[in-house]
Amino acid sequence: MRNILTLLKKNPMAVLGLFIFFIWIMASVFGPSLLRFTYTEMDMDHQMTSPGEFGHLLGTDSLGRDIFARIVYGSRSILTIALMTSLFSSFTGIIIGFSAGYFGGKVDQIFLRIMDIVMAIPPLVLSMVVLGILGGSSIFSLTLIVSIAYTPAMARVARGALLSCKGNEYVEAARIRGESDFYIMFVEILPNTIGPVIVEITARFAYSIMLIASLGFLGVGLQPPTPDWGMMVIENKSIIRVAPWAVLYPSLAIASLVIAISLISDFVSKVLIHEN
Amino acid sequence: MKTKILDIKNLDVNYETLAGDVVALKEVNLSVREKESLGIIGESGCGKSTLAYTIMDYLPSNGSKFGEINFKGENLLKKSQREMEKVRGNKIAMVHQNPYSSLNPSLTIGAQLDEVTVFHRGFTARQARKASLKAMEDLYMGDPEGVAKRYPHQISGGMQQRICIAMALLCRPDLLILDEPTTALDVTTEIVILDIVRELKEKYDMSMIYISHDIGIINKVSDRISVMYRGEVVETGPRSSIFQHPEHPYTRALINCMPRSGIVKEEARLNTITGYVRRRSTSETGCPFAERCEKKNAVCESEYGMKRRAKDHFSACGRAYADDIADKKLESLKIKTNGESSDKKLLEIKDLFKYYGGPFKKVRALDGISVTLNRNSVLGVVGESGCGKSTMGMTVSGLLKPTKGRILFNGSDISVSYKRRSPETLREIQLIFQNPGRSLNPSFTLEQIIGRPMKKLLGIKSRSERRKRIIEILKKVDLGEEYLNRKATQLSGGEMQRAAVARAFSTSPELLICDEPTSALDVSVQASVLNLLGQLQQESGASYIFISHDLNVINYISDYILVMYLGRICEYGTKDEVMHTPGHPYTAALLSAVPDVDPSLEKEVIRLEGSPPDPTVKIKGCPFAGRCYRKVGSICDTEFPPLRKYSEAHFAYCHRE
Repeated sequence: MRNILTLLKKNPMAVLGLFIFFIWIMASVFGPSLLRFTYTEMDMDHQMTSPGEFGHLLGTDSLGRDIFARIVYGSRSILTIALMTSLFSSFTGIIIGFSAGYFGGKVDQIFLRIMDIVMAIPPLVLSMVVLGILGGSSIFSLTLIVSIAYTPAMARVARGALLSCKGNEYVEAARIRGESDFYIMFVEILPNTIGPVIVEITARFAYSIMLIASLGFLGVGLQPPTPDWGMMVIENKSIIRVAPWAVLYPSLAIASLVIAISLISDFVSKVLIHEN
Repeated sequence: MKTKILDIKNLDVNYETLAGDVVALKEVNLSVREKESLGIIGESGCGKSTLAYTIMDYLPSNGSKFGEINFKGENLLKKSQREMEKVRGNKIAMVHQNPYSSLNPSLTIGAQLDEVTVFHRGFTARQARKASLKAMEDLYMGDPEGVAKRYPHQISGGMQQRICIAMALLCRPDLLILDEPTTALDVTTEIVILDIVRELKEKYDMSMIYISHDIGIINKVSDRISVMYRGEVVETGPRSSIFQHPEHPYTRALINCMPRSGIVKEEARLNTITGYVRRRSTSETGCPFAERCEKKNAVCESEYGMKRRAKDHFSACGRAYADDIADKKLESLKIKTNGESSDKKLLEIKDLFKYYGGPFKKVRALDGISVTLNRNSVLGVVGESGCGKSTMGMTVSGLLKPTKGRILFNGSDISVSYKRRSPETLREIQLIFQNPGRSLNPSFTLEQIIGRPMKKLLGIKSRSERRKRIIEILKKVDLGEEYLNRKATQLSGGEMQRAAVARAFSTSPELLICDEPTSALDVSVQASVLNLLGQLQQESGASYIFISHDLNVINYISDYILVMYLGRICEYGTKDEVMHTPGHPYTAALLSAVPDVDPSLEKEVIRLEGSPPDPTVKIKGCPFAGRCYRKVGSICDTEFPPLRKYSEAHFAYCHRE
């Protein structure tokens, strides 16, 4: 623990990242209950109010909805989906990547080619097509599709990490002890690949946020009235000259969260991979 | 007295790390005179390579240096990067440990050699090639023009290292630094390189710094020797005086731990140095060796410092006495065998073949091996890299399935892979690997590492029962109870290998395969691991297949010796027979190439040219014929030699009577 603190002292950017991320977590957990306005409430008297006026901290949009409230509510859905996708894609990615790397040969080829096919389709296109077929988006369908889009990258990282450990003699020692393949993969090898895997999970977290925001921007994200940061940007695009805050603040929200996670990811990779 | 070409004064080097500042070099004072060869010796982590890198200005960015490095009257530490470029290569050249990683794999040998003179001496392409070919001839390489066209991976390790030396010499440097240049090579290649190095030094009138952890090698190449310990030079003196009258207890201890001829496990334990080389923090003062020293007393702290002990011989401590030398022969050890007769067969290998690769190109790793191992005995397997000794260990352990042939263990056939072996067999055969850092899972504690085989193979379900046994075994390998919760990464190299030994013994095996178990360790640690393995063998009555390239080690631990060459047996016999009356010319060459610890023992060295033939080609005659210096005639090339029996157990395959 003290170790982590001294490391953080030397990495102010990581502290900044953690600080911003912490604020967003707090906002999504406790924010909604502390707000003056709800995210659907339309203040018909104060449309396109500038920030700070009439109790609207970040102003309102063309329907008189409070930007601040919508951003805080929006953080809930985006964080939930991003967290679930990064966990889900790393889970499937590890299983696929480990099996491919461990068994090698044909298994490896088949798994890798399937991953290549998924990877060949840009995540945005893949998601739009699937969401289009499914009809509306929900938290569940978004999580599913983003997870599928990001599983191959995770699988490749996991496979590489496994291969770098597989040559170690402790694996041979386990084999001639009669351990099962499952035991060797997930008990002997997995703990030693945790560095690159965690780095990849944090990186995927940032990517997921961007993808979800992009989907919202393109109109296939969460459906109104659920506030979605990407959707807020596109909704208010037409009033950008009169009420720039309605576009600026949601954009800043996306950027700050992505940058914060990237900073954390850099720190984690520095500590877990490069320092050892 | 000759002038000093390199004079290092009060050199300090510190590394800044996450765990705080670490001292790499402390107040190093060293000088190299003209035409002199200075040997630097010490365990790993003592700052030998750091010293070389500091001279070359190759330190990483977290290293800071203070002091003076005067080279021909100029302080190198005051020079800028650009000025250093003129010194490096031109005036001071360096040869590294691993030749393969020093050469660029995507350029031909010729291109890489030419580059040196073109860059440093402004030669034209034609002049450069001429100089390169000449340099290769100087290093006794047959067919230099052919070699120049090849890529690094197409020539052997010994050739690669010769190219690296040729490269270093192309600019006629005044000082050549060799950092463990033969450590990655086989003994027979090593001896040739050492000869070349000695000869070239005379020929080019250069000065030389030769860094090695091996006393036998330093002994062969240096005029003066400096001993380093934890960043300090603790003793410097002429070669003979360092060996015959070492003043510093560390020097004495280091010389004493080398296994040497005549010391065998039945009679003696090797000398060891307790503890290991710890990192040094900036706040530490006094004698760096004090914590491991047997001669420690009250004045170690106050009176410590370099003093002149004899003409040209300086030492920081003078408490090593002449009578410290003898290896402790223990009478009690002579009672060997505990009951069980040692004529009962434990393992029989019958005509074993193992080929790697596909149907078109087969590497013949094992080409018909038959050997028997009795209960309660140690079979030492020796040979150069690529001779198939590790493959043999892996087929016996089940990690590899033999291509053909049978392995009988206690009478039952086990020539299958580990997947099809019974848990009983898995329990009976255990393996100790070369690199303990890789064979112990870094994520687990020792309790988990040693406890797992007990649970899996002995079926001990109760945790407290297992813990009791683990503590017992840890005690046997001289690790205390406090190690239960340590992870492998928290241990020193020696402690790790002890833990690996403990794991192997946790199932009370009958056969232990030790694949170069001491090769990755320092001499002081190697001695203690060898002692431990010898002692456990005698106590438990287990048999060992002990694979090593080091004949001194094999000599210490083995009862029988098997010499292999190119996947075939050259010679087999009891230890004394093979060591004293070798029948096969290859065995004799190997024995003669072993560097001796005692400089007074100048023995006749048999030099082998070339390297073992391509293992993918089937050889009709004797595999050694191409390098043999005692060939009978053309029959050696056309017919596989017959088995010649010298005694009941001792035989060799050779055409010579």
